[in-house]
Amino acid sequence: MASMAGSSISMQPRHTLATTRVSGLKLVSFMNQGRSSLSFNLRPMPARLRISCAAKPETVDKVCAIVRKQLALPNDKPVTGDSKFADLGADSLDTVEIVMGIEEEFGIAVEEDNAQSITTVQDAADLVEKLCSEKSA
Amino acid sequence: MGASKGQKLSGLQKQVLSLYRGFLRAARSKPCEDRCQIESIVSAEFRRNSKQVDRKNFFYIEYLLRRGKKQLDQLKSPDTMGLSSLNVSSSQKQNAKT
Repeated sequence: MASMAGSSISMQPRHTLATTRVSGLKLVSFMNQGRSSLSFNLRPMPARLRISCAAKPETVDKVCAIVRKQLALPNDKPVTGDSKFADLGADSLDTVEIVMGIEEEFGIAVEEDNAQSITTVQDAADLVEKLCSEKSA
Repeated sequence: MGASKGQKLSGLQKQVLSLYRGFLRAARSKPCEDRCQIESIVSAEFRRNSKQVDRKNFFYIEYLLRRGKKQLDQLKSPDTMGLSSLNVSSSQKQNAKT
């Protein structure tokens, strides 16, 4: 119990109020789950916090490159994390192709329900990071 | 279910997209050359139908879905090497193929 409290204090100065609240919630759930392996439960916390933040710029760039290639966009057309696939001229078939291209590039499998909720580059990058971390975990 | 934001897809649209995904997945298991050919035929076919078929023509879309599923099952078999398409509207091409 003592080590738990210590970790939550060390996190507070680095993050905003919102993340502090998140870590607080996590702590509660950990206490409920099991007190048998304290150190084991504590370690994944920073990793989980990182996932809840925005995806890494490299991932966003990679996804942008795939989108650009798949839609055959000219080089002067800007593609950023906020770009919507529909605004870039992609129809639903293009979106399927983009998701398939992402699957191959990152070596992951995107479930159908998730694949249909992706509308922006940022959505795709966030999902990629989530699936990649699940795969490595 | 998943599409809470953006355009809402109908059940039929989801089935079509799922079939398209199935074809692209099946194409992955084929050798590179065949794969490229399959992908271009499948993509052209879906796009052609998406433009030509009236979106309210449910019976025809359902028929195309059933036909597509059968074709996908055949494509999935390891014996199937690739696809070929016949352009029925122009009789000259058809003769050249057969």
